[in-house]
Amino acid sequence: MVHISDGVLAEWLWGGGWAVTAVILAYALSKMRNEDVPRLSVITAAVFVSSLVHISVGPTSVHFILNGFAGVMLGILAYPCIFVALVLQCFLFGHGGVTTIGINAVNMGVPALIAYLIFKTGAGRGIGPETKNRASLFGAIAGGVAVVLALLFLAAELLTTGEEFLETTVLVVSTHIPIIAVEAIFTGVIVGFIATVEPELFRR
Amino acid sequence: MKPAKIITLLALILILCMAAMPTSAHRVIVQGQVSEIQIRAYFGGGSADPMAYADVEIYAVRGGQEELYKTGKTNDTGMYYFQPLIGVSEYRAVVEATGHRGEEWVNLTEGAGITEAEQEEAEDEAGLPLTGIIAGFGYLTGLAGIAMFLTARKMKKQYENK
Repeated sequence: MVHISDGVLAEWLWGGGWAVTAVILAYALSKMRNEDVPRLSVITAAVFVSSLVHISVGPTSVHFILNGFAGVMLGILAYPCIFVALVLQCFLFGHGGVTTIGINAVNMGVPALIAYLIFKTGAGRGIGPETKNRASLFGAIAGGVAVVLALLFLAAELLTTGEEFLETTVLVVSTHIPIIAVEAIFTGVIVGFIATVEPELFRR
Repeated sequence: MKPAKIITLLALILILCMAAMPTSAHRVIVQGQVSEIQIRAYFGGGSADPMAYADVEIYAVRGGQEELYKTGKTNDTGMYYFQPLIGVSEYRAVVEATGHRGEEWVNLTEGAGITEAEQEEAEDEAGLPLTGIIAGFGYLTGLAGIAMFLTARKMKKQYENK
């Protein structure tokens, strides 16, 4: 649902999407360190294939996005993660469009960064086995909120094509309820697990 | 024969002749053509879920010029039906729902039906793209290698500067 296809949006909008993406990408990549690369690659692989997992909801079909999960796990590097995943999904699976990779990266990547902020603020710096439940809770919130935000971004952009904002929002959010729930639980569980076994991952 | 009888007979023959050839006055042309085109829209990626209640736009292509012919919505099974215009054999169907968009050209002169080979190809495309997944992982491994290489070089430079 959140992959916008070619020819739907006006030129200024997808062009603007590319511009925003270029700026955030350049900044994120300048922050990338050698030890981040393996984690970045593994999470990107997960985000890349997650869009193939479909659930049929009512009149439509929805798939996983995992942008909140990427945000929590990668911080600012979630943006290059989502961008690369989108490029591969576009060319290998035909999801979305070529011109809209930029705007789609904004739709999923910016909520991922917001999810990271929610998680960081909520769970605090000292994540470890003893604060596992708190980290889990905020991981789950971040995982769910990121999907909702991505859908709001989508609805806001579809406004320009003449769709009703409220109508689109209600439609996409209601069909994505299972996705939001599963991604929240998934992110929460993984965060809890990592807080127990490898809390160092969060201390960056 | 009386002259009156001859005249009556002639008049009768004349009427009969006129009644026998009523079609010669107007040429009737009957054309046959397929009366309905079916459009089916569904999502790819393995599940082939129908694109239900999606907006449909049908463009009629006349001499290279497109004009909007019909708009409507797919039904709950992702189907949409429309009548072709007589004399127009090429149509472009655009299906769009919440940012998802697909289009298809229908050309009646080239045979509007979908051949078995085309159907198989479409099903392949809609199926789970296993080769795509494997290729994607390959690309990711390569990208990770390049990223490692670049960041390692950056680290080396910083080390040398110190």
